[in-house]
Amino acid sequence: MTTTAPSTSTTTVVTGRAAGGPRRHAGDRRERGVAWGFLTPFLVAFALFLVWPLLHGLYLSFTDQSLTGAGGGFVGIGNYVGALTDPVMWQSLGNTAWFTVLSTVPLVLLALVMALLVHRGLPGQWLWRLSFFMPYLLASTVISQIWVWIFNPQIGAANGILTAFGAEPVAWLQDPSINMGAIVIATVWWTVGFNFLLYLAALQNIPHQQYEAAALDGAGSWRQLWSITLPQLGQVTVLIVILQVLASLKLFDQAYQMLGGIASDTTRSIVQYIYEAGFVGYRFGYSAAISYVFFAIIVIIGVIQAFAIGRRGARS
Amino acid sequence: MTSPPSLSRRQFMSLTATLAGTAALAACASPVRGAGDVRTLEFWHLLSGADGVTMSGLIDQVNGAQGAYRVRPTVLAWGEPYYTKLAMAAAGGRAPDVSVMHASRVPGYAPGGLLDTWDVGRLADLGVDESAFPAAVWEKGFIGDRLYSVALDAHPFVLMYNTEICDAAGVLDADGRLQSVTSPEEFLELARAVAGESEGHGLSYGYLGDGAQLWRLFYTLYTQHGLEIALPEGGEVEMDVDAAVDSLSFMQQLLDGEIAARENDYQSAIAEFATGRSGLFLTGVWELRSMLEAGIPLDATVIPTLYGTPSVYADSHAFTLPHQSAPDPETRDQVYRFVADILKGSFDWAEAGHIPAYLPVTESPAYADLLPQAHYAEAAELVRYDPPAWFTGSGSRFQAEFGSAVQNSLLRGDDPAAAIERFRARMNAQLRMPNPANPDGGAA
Repeated sequence: MTTTAPSTSTTTVVTGRAAGGPRRHAGDRRERGVAWGFLTPFLVAFALFLVWPLLHGLYLSFTDQSLTGAGGGFVGIGNYVGALTDPVMWQSLGNTAWFTVLSTVPLVLLALVMALLVHRGLPGQWLWRLSFFMPYLLASTVISQIWVWIFNPQIGAANGILTAFGAEPVAWLQDPSINMGAIVIATVWWTVGFNFLLYLAALQNIPHQQYEAAALDGAGSWRQLWSITLPQLGQVTVLIVILQVLASLKLFDQAYQMLGGIASDTTRSIVQYIYEAGFVGYRFGYSAAISYVFFAIIVIIGVIQAFAIGRRGARS
Repeated sequence: MTSPPSLSRRQFMSLTATLAGTAALAACASPVRGAGDVRTLEFWHLLSGADGVTMSGLIDQVNGAQGAYRVRPTVLAWGEPYYTKLAMAAAGGRAPDVSVMHASRVPGYAPGGLLDTWDVGRLADLGVDESAFPAAVWEKGFIGDRLYSVALDAHPFVLMYNTEICDAAGVLDADGRLQSVTSPEEFLELARAVAGESEGHGLSYGYLGDGAQLWRLFYTLYTQHGLEIALPEGGEVEMDVDAAVDSLSFMQQLLDGEIAARENDYQSAIAEFATGRSGLFLTGVWELRSMLEAGIPLDATVIPTLYGTPSVYADSHAFTLPHQSAPDPETRDQVYRFVADILKGSFDWAEAGHIPAYLPVTESPAYADLLPQAHYAEAAELVRYDPPAWFTGSGSRFQAEFGSAVQNSLLRGDDPAAAIERFRARMNAQLRMPNPANPDGGAA
C-alpha cells in the first residue's frame, strides 16, 4: 500500500506539468527542489535516529564499550563469540520463540473466530467491535497494571475465579512454570483486537453475490464458510501472521512491566536480555552484539516469509 | 514569487524572528545568572512515596534555614532506571552535585571513577566523622582507604508484630514486647502460637517474584551463622554451603501454609498484615509508616538471633558525589554543608521508619520516645550489607538472580541444596565477567 501511493502522485504531477510546454525543465527542477525541501525534515530524522544508531550500534558491537564510559577498545568478534556461547542468550532466544508460538496461534485463531461471529450478525455489532478493539488502544503500562492486579496471587480476580470453582490458587506471574502463559493471556487480550479488525474488514470485502449464489445452489452456512469465506481470507491471514510474528518477537514492554524489571529465566525475552546486558549490566558493546544477532535472525525470518509469499503469489 | 520585495519581507521577518528569539533566550537566562551568591545544588535521589515526602520536608527545612545554597531535587524511579541514569550522568562528567545511592551499590560505581571521594577532613570540620556513626555503617562508606559515601540511614529487615494478636497468643513478655527466642525451633513454635490466634497466617512474608525479599531474609539468617559471602572479582564464590542450605531450609519450614502462606508476593503480604489477618510480618523498616497508618496495634523488633550471631540484612541510603570533570569549589563547599545539615536534621527521617545513621540523632532523648522505631534502633549496630561486587546491591541483578535460583525451593518445595548450587553457579559466571565500569581492573 505504502509503496504505490507516492508513485501514483508523482505521475499525476509530471503529466500535469508536461502540459506547460517550454517551462517543463525549469518547473521540474524547481519541483525537485521543493520535493527535497519537504523530504529534508524526514531525511534528517531518519539519518539521525535510524541510520546513524544502526551504524554506530554495529561499530559498538566490535568494542568493549561500557555504559559508564569505560572501555571502548576494539575487541574484534569477541562479543559475538561471547553472545553465541552465552547460555542466557540462547535461553532468551528460546523464550522469545516460545512466546511467539504461544501468542501467534491464539492471536490469529481467536481474531478469526471473533470476526466471524461479529460479521455473522451478532446483535449490537458496534458494541462487539468496540469492545474487542478497545484494549488495543491502551498503553502497555496500563494493561500491565490491570493484569498485575488480575494475576495477584492472593487478591487477584484470576485466582478468585479458580478458587470459586474449587481449584488451587496459582502464582500466575511468579511461578516460573506458568508465568509465560500469563504474559500470553494478557498479550492476547491486549492485541487481538487489531487482527480482529483486519479480519472483519476482509470479511466485509467478500462479494455478497457469492453467498447468494451458493445459497441458491443449496449450500448451508458451514459449506459457505469452508468454500467461500475461509479461502478468501487466505491473503489477509498471511498478512496477519507476518505482522504477528514480528510483533511477538519484539516482546518486551508488557513482560518487563508485569514482572517488575528484571526477568526470570523462563520469561526473559531476547529484547529484555539486550536491555539487561546494556542498561543493567552496563555492557554496551556486548548488548549491541546480541542485538545484531537478533537482527540477523529477523532478517532470515523476513526472507523466508517473503519467499513463502512469493511462491504463494506465483501459484495463484 | 521571486520578486525582491517579497524576499526582503521574508528576510525582514526572519531577522525579526531571530532577534526576538535571542531576546527571549536572554530573558530566560538572566534570572539564573542573577541569583547572586546562592548556590543551586542539583540533588538526585530515588526516594518516592512516603520516603519522598519526608525527604522533601528535610530539603525544605535545610533550604529555609540558611541563605548560602538552595537544593533542587530531582527524583527518579527506584531501581535500575535510577542507577543507569546516574551512571550515564557521571560517565559524562556533568553529573548532579550530590546524589543518594544505596551504600551497597557504591562498589560497582567507585572503581570506575564514577564517584568522587569525600574529604574526611572537611566533613569532620562540620561535625560529620567516624564517632558520629555506627561503626559498620561508617565503614561501609569506604573502599580501600577512600570515603565514597556518607550514610543517611540504615534500613534493615525487621520483624513487625501485631501486639493484640501476639498478646492473645501469649508470646509477649512482661513489658508487652515479643518474647526473645534464640533458635529456629523456638521461632517456629512462637510463630505457630501466633498462627493459632490469627485469622490468616501467623506470619506474613512476601517473596514471590521478588529476589530482593528472598535475599533479605536469607542473608539475615545466613550471616547469623557468623559467616559472610565473599565475591572476589575473577575468582569463585566463597560461601559456607551448609549454612546456606540450613538457612534456606528454615525458610521452607516457615512457608508451610500454616505459619506463612506460600503464595504471597510483596503487596499481598502487606495487605495480609495491614488488615490484621496475621500477627507477624517480616519486612523492611521502610514499610513502617504505612503500617502505622493502617491503624493496627503495632510494634517492631530486630529479627531474633536464631543461629548465635546477632546480624540483620540492611542497606543504607548514602550521599555520594557523582563524578564531575570540573567541580566548582564553592558549590562543593555548599554540598558538604548541605549533607551535614541534612544529617543533623535527620530526626524526621526516622518517622519514615529508617534508622538515622547520625548518632547524635538516635542517641537523643526524643528518639528514645519514638516508638516503635526505638525498639529496633540497635539493628544499626548489626547491619550486614550485600557482599561487595560490581553487580550486587539493592535493585541489582544479583538479588534477582538469587531469587530465580531459590524461589522454587520455597514455592514448590524443591531441594534447597540444589537451589544453593544453582546460585553458586550463577555467581561464578558473574564473577568471570569483567567489571564493565573498570574492565582493566581485572582479577586483581
